[in-house]
Amino acid sequence: MSTDSVIKIKDLDFSYGGPKILENIEIDIQHNEFIGMVGPNGSGKTTLLKIIMGVLTPDKGSVKVLGNPPSQSVQEIGYMPQFASFSRDFPISVEETVLMGRLGKTSSIGFFNKADKRASEKAMNDVEILDLRKRVIGSLSGGQLQRVLIARALTCEPQIMILDEPTANVDMKVEKDIFDLLKQLNERITIIVVTHDIGFISQYIDRVACINRTLICHPTSELTGETIENMYGAHMHMVHHHHEDEKK
Amino acid sequence: MSSFIDAISTQAFMQNAIIGGVLASVACGVVGSYVVVKRIGYLAGGIAHSVLGGMGIAYYLGRPPIEGALVAALVFAVILGWVSLKMQQQEDTVIGALWAGGMAVGILFISQTPGYSVDLMSFLFGNILMISSDDLLWIAGLDILILLIVFLFYKQFLALSFDEEFARLRGIPVERFYLLFLSLVALTVVILIQIVGLILVIALLTLPAAVSGQYVRSLNLMMLLATVLGVFFTTGGLALSYQPDLPPGPTIILVAGAFYLVSLVITRFWKRA
Repeated sequence: MSTDSVIKIKDLDFSYGGPKILENIEIDIQHNEFIGMVGPNGSGKTTLLKIIMGVLTPDKGSVKVLGNPPSQSVQEIGYMPQFASFSRDFPISVEETVLMGRLGKTSSIGFFNKADKRASEKAMNDVEILDLRKRVIGSLSGGQLQRVLIARALTCEPQIMILDEPTANVDMKVEKDIFDLLKQLNERITIIVVTHDIGFISQYIDRVACINRTLICHPTSELTGETIENMYGAHMHMVHHHHEDEKK
Repeated sequence: MSSFIDAISTQAFMQNAIIGGVLASVACGVVGSYVVVKRIGYLAGGIAHSVLGGMGIAYYLGRPPIEGALVAALVFAVILGWVSLKMQQQEDTVIGALWAGGMAVGILFISQTPGYSVDLMSFLFGNILMISSDDLLWIAGLDILILLIVFLFYKQFLALSFDEEFARLRGIPVERFYLLFLSLVALTVVILIQIVGLILVIALLTLPAAVSGQYVRSLNLMMLLATVLGVFFTTGGLALSYQPDLPPGPTIILVAGAFYLVSLVITRFWKRA
C-alpha cells in the first residue's frame, strides 16, 4: 500500500546552524488522511511544514511528497498561513486574493485566464464565499477572511492542504464551521492542520502528530490527558464540554 | 487662465510641457501605485536622489544627463534592492548613506566640469517648460517599456506587492521580480526628473497613488485614477504657475500635496461619520 503514501519522511534532522530543531523525524502520511499537528511554541511545527513545502532543506534524511522531492511537488500543496502576511487595507477583492492561489499553476505571463477564474469560483463556492467575491478584503470579518485564505489554498486544486492554525483568531462557532468544511474537503484532499486545540479537533482527525523536536504519532483513539501532558511537558487540565448549538 | 490656454495653443514649449506631464503621469500612476501599496517610498527616494551621481558624471563627460540618470537609476535600484533583501537590519541606514553619497558624487562632478555653468537647480527641481521633443520621445519610450513589463508580469507584481511570503510558496522567484520591479521604479524616476527634478520626484511618484488609494477597491483602478490625478496635478500646477511666472515643478508638487491633505481629511471625516 506504499503507493498511497502522500508524504513520506525518513530519519530527518534539521537545524538553523545551531542546536537541532527537528531530530529523527519519521512519518508516513497516507492519501486522504486528516492529520492534526500539535506541539508547544518553538517545537519545530512550522519548520517541518516549510521542509515539506520545499522552503527549507533538511540536514539529513529524506522527504518525499507525492513521490518526488518537495520542491517539485509544492505546486500540489495548498497552504494557509497562520497569520495573513498581507495588509488588510490593500485594495484587492476577495476574488483577486483567491486567484493568487493559481500562481505556479497558471501561465507565467499575462493576466489570469478562464481556467483560473473557474478554479477560483469553484474554491469560493466550496467554502461558501461566492457572494463575497467582489468585496474588498478590508471589509471582511475574521471568519470570512479565514475562508478566503482557505479558498486561496484550494484554488490550485491541491492534493494536499496544509493549514497552520486556521482557527487561531476566530470564535468557537466559526472554528466548528471551518473544521466541518475541512472534513468535507478531506474526502478528496489529504489535510495537515496545525492546532493547539487538540481536544476540539480530535473528533475530526485520524491521527495526531505530536512534535517537540522529535515526532510521535498517535491514532486519535489513544489520546488521553497523559499523552497531551507529555507533549506539552507541563501539567494540564482536561475539560470536557459539550456545545448546545450542535443540533443545528 | 485665458493666457495659459493661449500659450498652449501657440507655444510649442507649452504643448511639450503638457504632453510631458501626461506621459509622466502614466508611469507615475502605474509604478507609484505599487510603491504606495508596497510601502517602499523611502527606497524609491533613495533611488531618485542617488541618480544625481550619474547625471553629474554624464555632464562631466559631456553626455546628456538623462543617459547618466538612466544608468545610475538602474545601478542604484539593483544595489538598493539587494541591500533591502539581504541587510534588513540596517536597511534604512544603508539607503540613507547611498542616497546622500550619490548626491555628493553628482555635485562634485558638476563642480569639476570645465565652464561650470550648468543650472544645478534644473537637475534638482526640474523644468517642465524646457522639455524638448527628444525628451518626449524618451519619456514615451520608457512609458511603453514600463507598461509592457507590467502587463507581462501583472500576476507576479500583484502577488509580490500583496503577499510576498505566499508568492514565494507558490514558486515565484520573488527576489528576481523585486529587482525587476525596482528597475521599473528607476525608469519612472528618470522620467519624473524631467518634470519636477529629482528632489521632488518622490512626491509626484507617491501622491497621486496615495490619493487614488483612498477611493478605489482594486489595484488596477488605483493605477488608472492615479494616472488621471497625475495629469490633473501636472496640468493644474503648470496653469497656476504660468501667470505669476512661478517655477512649475514646485507648484505641481504643492497642488498634489494640497489635494492629498484635503482628500485625507475628507476621507477621515467621511469614515468616522
